[in-house]
Amino acid sequence: MTSEVRVIMTVNGTEYHVTTQTNRTLTEVLREDLGLLGTKIGCNKGECGACTVIMNGRSVTSCLVLAVQAEGATITTIEGLAEGGKPSALEQAFVEEGAVQCGFCTPGMVMSAEALLTLNPHPSAAEIETALEGNLCRCTGYRKIVAAVQKASQSRE
Amino acid sequence: MGRIAQYYHATSLEDAFAKAKQLGPVAAYVGGGVELVLRRNPEITTLIDLSRCGLDYIAAAPEGIEIGSQTTLTTISRSADIKQYAGGSFAYWAGRIAQNNLRDMITVGGVIGRNQPWNDVVPHLVALGAQVRLFDGAERIMPLSGYIEAKQPGVIIKGVLLPAGNAGSSGFLWRFTRTQQDISTLHFSALVSFDGKVMTAANLVFAGRPGHAALYPRLSEGLVGKSLSHETFARVAEMALDLVEVGTDLRATGEFRRELVRAAIVNLEEHMTGVAQ
Repeated sequence: MTSEVRVIMTVNGTEYHVTTQTNRTLTEVLREDLGLLGTKIGCNKGECGACTVIMNGRSVTSCLVLAVQAEGATITTIEGLAEGGKPSALEQAFVEEGAVQCGFCTPGMVMSAEALLTLNPHPSAAEIETALEGNLCRCTGYRKIVAAVQKASQSRE
Repeated sequence: MGRIAQYYHATSLEDAFAKAKQLGPVAAYVGGGVELVLRRNPEITTLIDLSRCGLDYIAAAPEGIEIGSQTTLTTISRSADIKQYAGGSFAYWAGRIAQNNLRDMITVGGVIGRNQPWNDVVPHLVALGAQVRLFDGAERIMPLSGYIEAKQPGVIIKGVLLPAGNAGSSGFLWRFTRTQQDISTLHFSALVSFDGKVMTAANLVFAGRPGHAALYPRLSEGLVGKSLSHETFARVAEMALDLVEVGTDLRATGEFRRELVRAAIVNLEEHMTGVAQ
C-alpha cells in the first residue's frame, strides 16, 4: 500500500506541483506526469545514463531518484536547454559533429555534458570522458560525442 | 520501490532518530538513495530523508577530518583537504568508483550504512583507520571496523572521521574488476606509514572475499619495522595465503581469490616502492 504525496519542483524554469505515489521515480514523473519524454528509460537501474537530468546542478540518473527526493529541487531536462526555440550550442554541436546516431542515449549524453560545461567550461578530452562515463551509447559513437562537447566548449566563456 | 507508504523529511538528527525509533524495522534512512531504489526491500514502508539535517560537510575536527554522512563521493573527490590526506588515495578513489552520475548521488554515510560485501569505499576507510560519529539520542564515536562488525539498527551515522596523523602515510586501494563499474572479485586496501625505507605502521584490509571488509593485524605486523624490500612483501604474501579467508560465490572460486590475495600484495609492493622513491 503506497501513499500519495505532493511534490513541488522547478523543472526547466517552471514550478510544478505534482501529486504522486511515494514509490515513483523522478523519471516516471518527468515522463508520465509532466510529458517530458526527452528523458529516456533505458536500463532503469542507473547503468546506462539515458535518464540523466541535472538536479540542483548535479547530473543524476533520474531512474534512481525518487520523485519525493526532488522536493524543492531545481531540475533541467533536455527540453530545458533550447534557447529561443532553437537548439542550444551544445545540442547544435552534437548535430554538426555527427554525434547522434540512433539518438536514444543523446539526451543523457547532452545533460551530462551540460553539467560538466557549467562547472568546467573548457574541459580536457579526459575530463569529458570522465563526465560521460555513466552514459552508454550502443551505437558506439563516443569519439564524435567527445568532439561535440569540445566544440561546444569553445563557445563557452 | 516496494510498498513505500511514507517519505519523511527529517529536520534534525533528533527528529530522524525519533521517527526511526517509533517505526522500528519498517523504516530506513536515505543516504544517497541509490541502493534503496535499486534493491527494493518489501519490508521497508517508510523512508527517512536526512538531507535536511546538515550532514553535507567536510571540516577539520579535533580527531582529524570529519566528513558528514550526506557528503557525496563527488564532493569528497574534489576536496582539497581529502586530496592531501594519506597521499590523496581516498579522494582519488572517490572520484573513480562507479560512474560520474552515480558519484553525484552516492553518499559516504549511505555506503557505510548499506555496507554491501562488494562495497569499494568501506575497505579503504577501514584501512585509513576511520571512525564513525553515531547518533542515537546522543553522539558517540567508534571505529568503523567495529561498527561494520556489529551494525546497530536505528542508529544514525552522522559523520566519518579520518584520523589525524596520517599526513605522511600512503593509502592504497586495489580492486580486481573487469571494468571500472564492475563489482570487484576482491578488494584490498592498505595504509602504510614509513620512515625512509622502513615501514613504521600498516593497516591491511581485504574485502569482497566474498565477505565484508576485515583487518588483518598479523599481516600488518609482517610489514612494521621491515624495509621496503621484495623479500618483505614476498613473506607477507605467503602469510596472506594462509590468513585471509576466501570463499567461492558466483563471481569466483576460493582458489582463484587466493591467487588474487597474492596479486594484491604484489600490487602493494609496487605502489609502496614507487611512493618511497
